[in-house]
Amino acid sequence: MALVSLEGVGKTYHGRTGAWEAVRDFSLDLADGEFFCLLGTSGCGKTTVLNMVAGFEQPTAGRILLDGVPVERPGADRGVVFQGHDSLYDWLTALDNIGFGLRLRGLGRRDRRAKAEHYLNMVGLTGQGAKHPSELSGGMKQRIQIARALANDPRMLLMDEPFGALDAMTRAVLQGELSRIWAETRKTVLFITHDIEEAVALGTRVGVMKRGPGGTLKAVIPVDLPFPRERTSDAFMATFREVHALIHDEIHGAH
Amino acid sequence: MPSFTMRSTVRTDKLATVAGYVAGFALLFVIWHLAAAYLVKSILFPGPWPVFERALVLIEDNILQEQIVASMRRIMQGFLLGSAIGIPIGLAIGSFRIVRWLLEPWTEFFRFIPAVAMITVAVIWFGIGEESKIFLIAYTTVFVVVISTAAGVGAVGRDKIRAAQCLGASRLQVFALVALPATVPYILTGMRLAMANAFVTIVAAELIASNDGLGKLLWDARLFMQIEDIFVALVALGLLGFLTDRVFRVLIRAFAGRFNATV
Repeated sequence: MALVSLEGVGKTYHGRTGAWEAVRDFSLDLADGEFFCLLGTSGCGKTTVLNMVAGFEQPTAGRILLDGVPVERPGADRGVVFQGHDSLYDWLTALDNIGFGLRLRGLGRRDRRAKAEHYLNMVGLTGQGAKHPSELSGGMKQRIQIARALANDPRMLLMDEPFGALDAMTRAVLQGELSRIWAETRKTVLFITHDIEEAVALGTRVGVMKRGPGGTLKAVIPVDLPFPRERTSDAFMATFREVHALIHDEIHGAH
Repeated sequence: MPSFTMRSTVRTDKLATVAGYVAGFALLFVIWHLAAAYLVKSILFPGPWPVFERALVLIEDNILQEQIVASMRRIMQGFLLGSAIGIPIGLAIGSFRIVRWLLEPWTEFFRFIPAVAMITVAVIWFGIGEESKIFLIAYTTVFVVVISTAAGVGAVGRDKIRAAQCLGASRLQVFALVALPATVPYILTGMRLAMANAFVTIVAAELIASNDGLGKLLWDARLFMQIEDIFVALVALGLLGFLTDRVFRVLIRAFAGRFNATV
């Protein structure tokens, strides 16, 4: 059985300017342990899909099941990594940010610290735990977000363009690290991006969305390339071209 | 390496700030001296030196300290009372729409009735003792604190709350561990603004009805034409306000997480 099932999910917003259909008839099964990249142009509704899986928003059509149970609200079983780093708590140190979920569960200070240290090391920030978010670079903040989500040991990770605001070099480094962390933890990941290379580099499957309004899944491409992925290899290029061809129509005319 | 450079720049910045303040104050006193000695040349406008000498006399006689303590005690009591009332109301207004609808008209109404206008009614209700002063300071504090606290709650980033929710936070935990600490800088900013109001109010209240305090010192000095005393009181108010404001700025920065413990 799939870990997560989206069954004919739709989302329509009703605002002052009338109804806006962000997502239409979106169906997808996510298997336990897979890394699914959802690729789409801006405004295609991909973030809306993630927000509904996270439980921040409710679908207006269809349903979303997690382990067969409908998703109704956010919960500790789905860790979210946000695009911006406004989600970090400025008044806490990096280590206390990572241990925040453990604190919510009432874990003692010592256990919390030990576990947070473990994830701090995992995201490559050994020795930076006493710093506050304002003292960390954009890339480091995203590492803290990933560590915070992982420390809570969720069933799956939802990542909303987590590297979208980073420079190209930092982004490439963090993509590599994320791949390594995913291989270590084998968490199910739903990863939202508009970057074809990123999707092909990270995903075990890449889902391409039609452009909005009424964004829906256009195609799903399995990526059977070994990790770590060699971006200049012929096989990588071939998959890149395949995905690129699919999204080409969506890019043009999406403005 | 980076942390070292960061720390030393912070230290240089602090030194520069202190040096700037000293120079700024020195310049003020020089201009004051020049204006008194060469421009105005009147016994009604003493220079800094006679005022300083007079201040020493008042300190020796323990008069200045007593007035300062009297005024500052009232300010602190009323200010803390006003904040203690204002913060929970502000949090409630910011958190619950129904409370906002109910209480916002009150705050929007009362904040335009200045505390100075309430002096007469305060004296009628509470007499000229401590109660009327504390009431007035609390009154002048509460609305500013309510408004900035409510604004702070409204400004808590959506992702901060969502992040807590998907880490498993209950509503109470979201409030206590996210909304409240995120609002603290706003609360302190409101209190900082309220403190300036408190200084205005305490002087006005002591001018009109009091047996001691800096306002009383000002009033008596006017009655007996002790012009230096007036200036001593004015400088004391300025310095006290300056120092109180510094304390708030340090607190705001500390809570905003811009400094870690090692700096």
